[in-house]
Amino acid sequence: MLGKLTWSAIPFDQPIPLVAAALVGVVLLGVIAWVAVAGWLPYLWREWITSVDHKRIGVMYVILGLVMLIRGFSDAILMRSHQALAYNAPGYLPPEHYDQIFSAHGTIMIFFGAMPFMIGLMNFVVPLQLGVRDVAFPTLNSVSFWLTATGALLVNVSLVVGEFARTGWWPSPPLSEVTYSPGVGVDYYLWAIQISGIGTLMSGINLVTTILKMRAPGMSYLRMPMFCWTALASNMLIIAAFPILTATLAMLTLDRYLGFHFFTDEAGGNSMLFMNLFWAWGHPEVYILALPAYGVFSEVISTFSGKPLFAYRSMVWATLAICLLSFMVWLHHFFTMGPGGDVNGVFGITSMIIAVPTGVKIFDWMFTMYGGRVRFTTPMLWSVAFLVTFVVGGATGVLLAIPPADFVLHNSLFLVAHFHNVMVSAVVFAAFAGYTYWFPKAFGFTLDEWWGKAAFWFSLVGYVWVFTPLYVVGLLGMTRRLQHFSVAEWYPWIVAASLGVIVMVFGVVCQVVQLVVSIRRREQLRDVTGDPWDGRSLEWATASPPPSFNFAVMPRVEGEEAYWAIKQRAREQARLREEPDYEPVEMPLNSPTGFVCAFFATLVGFAMIWHIWWLAALGLAGAFATFVVFAWRDRVEYEIPADAVARINRRNRASRLEALQQARRKEAA
Amino acid sequence: MSHTDTDDRAHADVAPGDEYPHEEFGAGLRSYLIGLALATLLTAASFWVAQTKVMWAPAIPVALLTFAIAQMGVHLVFFLHLTSGPDNTNNIMALAFGVLIVFLLFGGSVWIMHHMNYNMMAPVEGGVRMPLQKGVPLQPEPQKGVPMQHGGGGHH
Amino acid sequence: MSSSAAMPGAVPGVVPMRRDPNHLGHHAAGEGETRAPGRGIGGPAPKRIVVGYGFWIFLLSDIVMFAAFFAAFAVLQGGTAGGPTGAELFDLTNVAIETGLLLLSSFACGIATLALNARRPLAFQAAMAVTFLFGAGFLALELREFTDLVARDAGPTRSAFLSAFFTVVGCHGLHVTAGLLWLLTMMAQVLAKGFRPDILRRVMCFSLFWHALDIVWVAVFTVVYLMGAAT
Repeated sequence: MLGKLTWSAIPFDQPIPLVAAALVGVVLLGVIAWVAVAGWLPYLWREWITSVDHKRIGVMYVILGLVMLIRGFSDAILMRSHQALAYNAPGYLPPEHYDQIFSAHGTIMIFFGAMPFMIGLMNFVVPLQLGVRDVAFPTLNSVSFWLTATGALLVNVSLVVGEFARTGWWPSPPLSEVTYSPGVGVDYYLWAIQISGIGTLMSGINLVTTILKMRAPGMSYLRMPMFCWTALASNMLIIAAFPILTATLAMLTLDRYLGFHFFTDEAGGNSMLFMNLFWAWGHPEVYILALPAYGVFSEVISTFSGKPLFAYRSMVWATLAICLLSFMVWLHHFFTMGPGGDVNGVFGITSMIIAVPTGVKIFDWMFTMYGGRVRFTTPMLWSVAFLVTFVVGGATGVLLAIPPADFVLHNSLFLVAHFHNVMVSAVVFAAFAGYTYWFPKAFGFTLDEWWGKAAFWFSLVGYVWVFTPLYVVGLLGMTRRLQHFSVAEWYPWIVAASLGVIVMVFGVVCQVVQLVVSIRRREQLRDVTGDPWDGRSLEWATASPPPSFNFAVMPRVEGEEAYWAIKQRAREQARLREEPDYEPVEMPLNSPTGFVCAFFATLVGFAMIWHIWWLAALGLAGAFATFVVFAWRDRVEYEIPADAVARINRRNRASRLEALQQARRKEAA
Repeated sequence: MSHTDTDDRAHADVAPGDEYPHEEFGAGLRSYLIGLALATLLTAASFWVAQTKVMWAPAIPVALLTFAIAQMGVHLVFFLHLTSGPDNTNNIMALAFGVLIVFLLFGGSVWIMHHMNYNMMAPVEGGVRMPLQKGVPLQPEPQKGVPMQHGGGGHH
Repeated sequence: MSSSAAMPGAVPGVVPMRRDPNHLGHHAAGEGETRAPGRGIGGPAPKRIVVGYGFWIFLLSDIVMFAAFFAAFAVLQGGTAGGPTGAELFDLTNVAIETGLLLLSSFACGIATLALNARRPLAFQAAMAVTFLFGAGFLALELREFTDLVARDAGPTRSAFLSAFFTVVGCHGLHVTAGLLWLLTMMAQVLAKGFRPDILRRVMCFSLFWHALDIVWVAVFTVVYLMGAAT
């Protein structure tokens, strides 16, 4: 009846996960109870859970990303503190638990921290920057988000019911085969990633279609803000790469569930094939995360330098070059598995070539700052720190791209330091730069600068403090994922890295405090004009937060930096553009399809993990039925009457006019 | 829907698989009939080539691939109505990107895995790896009791 | 763009902004850009094109997934583990019949779209029914082949080669199954709702899907069966 699921699945004998999970469970239930008692459930259901508004979905993605980043960070704290206590000692985590933690850390950070954060920013910003009202497929967008949330839920359920994979964040066979990993850990991984991967793929299709087919009149390709370009490239990579992951994990699933022999050691299987296919997805994935990050930095640096992006076209070409090249380098993840000199040589060279367009971008950003009036706000601090630290990470990357060097350094903590160096300084820094930069657009008030800067400095110092010792200890020969060690000269570096984690904890705390403080002080921090940073692209032409329809009338774009041109004209003429003729706006109706589908997907995933076949069949039937019900509806849009549109837009115009006059009075005085 | 297709065909965009609207039933049918005839012909040619003794053996895979690519083209043009016209640019660009990825993935995997099998999975004789000879299957059985030698690690 | 002053909402008599000296490579306007909606500077495309394009790139992603399975098949083809090879197992007559059925099904699906464009409900339903029958026939033959192989101790667990074979062909078969389910749903929708624009778009996507499955099948019979039977 319940497949493999019994009471013994709950780890009563392991206090750490049990207590942690109980704590999280209590907090979660408490929040739900609080929301229910306060009577907010209908509001949440109506305005958020069933919302198909790209802005709401983007915000929910970012919240998921934030929570999961903290969740993954807590794994990092466990690992670093465990290793600090594991010199000639067993540490405090038993090996089978330690293995689950480093696997969960990587899985959660990549799939449920970084990905939702970046997709959330793209979802929120891209339609606004393109001057349109929503993404191409709003309901599908909601389905994408809820499927991603399903994956995150499954990974976290594994903490309490059963176990997580002990194989590392890529489940390499034959270790991940049922012979060596008979438990449900790898199955949790497989179904969580498959389900959220479907969501990611659909989100990619949605954004590419939006960018290629739904731009405001006049928004030609070479007038798109850089963030839209990088979003386009990143989502093209999602469309091209995620199906490979789906296929590869499907093969492993078939091996585990039905006794196939893709990656087994017997009957002609080939475990190296898994590595090959996994990294054919895995390397594009790095750029799926990094490209939108580059877009964030482009927007932030240009805005806070008060200058257009330097050499815009070279940036576009660099973006597209990275998009293509990222599909030609995947072998550098397994130089040492024996492809031989000629194959290694080719991929080593392509791996070095891909650093060139990235270098072009670095120079473009620096020259954007050069001669500008630079304002060192929190987003700008993250961006400048990125420029400095990312170059170090990039340089160690080029070093690792040399196959002979890789033979020495592979699987060491040097490698771990390298990819954290690039991923943290690109993706995490961009995440927080973008979060601070677009927060006022989403919620109508800016974030507190003092706490933001405190969070930045603690995070930056802590991050350099953690990973510099790891570079060194890697060069001293320490390999990754050691549960305990007995080499004396490694010990001080490991302790140093652990101290750095404490500094990073302060950074995380400041980030949380910043949010709380800003919410409490929101009236002082209010952004009335909708343009708190003196921005340059169209999202700043809307009110903060933007109305559900974004633009009362679709903007007409007449050059690059569409909003800057509008603003300049208003400043020169001391008046706003003439009021447009308002027309009723048609917007897509909310739909619970995404949430209901995700509910059934959760059932399917959980049932497949525990071999509860009837429940899986039920879940699949439910998901199909949900789609048919969705397809059967007769009304898909509702109309916002013209006078409502006019009323909302006039409010924004009034506050902008006042700001304009204030600025002129200040100039005159 | 509030949008209507624009009448100006010269500037309009078409969706993949879209016939031109207001098309005559007969004219559309002709396209499908041509497609069916060509596809049947190419399929027949493929099956004939695969089983014939007339052709030089190494040429057979080449011929098969050629016929397959040709038939895919027939499907794309006559069934999916992809053309090289300006209204189809985006569709063709997307297709080109997809084909490039398929080529990189398939070609790259075969190339890489061939080399890895060659270097790492060869039979071990007296502790010395013997390179495989031409014509020997890519992947011989690993000998019982001899551990395979591929290195475990990868990156990231 | 020289005609910017003529655009609605633009304020006449305004000198264009001075360009930034460092603004390398910027061209102020999209010269030569088409004004077609959805491309160039024409504004958002009509819904039909947006939906068609979105589905088109979904199909491309699906084809990339097939490419990964094909790559696995190509690599594992020699991994027969002493078991039967393709040459011993494949019945090319059966494959030829399957190919014919799928091709005719694709053709019938084309007729269905023609009927749809001509707004002939009866012809549409008939053509869709024929599409379904040929598709179901294809699936039946494939299932018979699979059960036959399993009965001859050549199931997917026998060797890596057979695992890959069953996965590539089975994945295509799963797509056909999903397509048949979709086909029935579309027949029911047209029957219940008539030729509504959103339903027309869905049928367009379905026909894209069905033709794309035939393209994948061309790769399957060439790479898996014909080239596999030769080795």
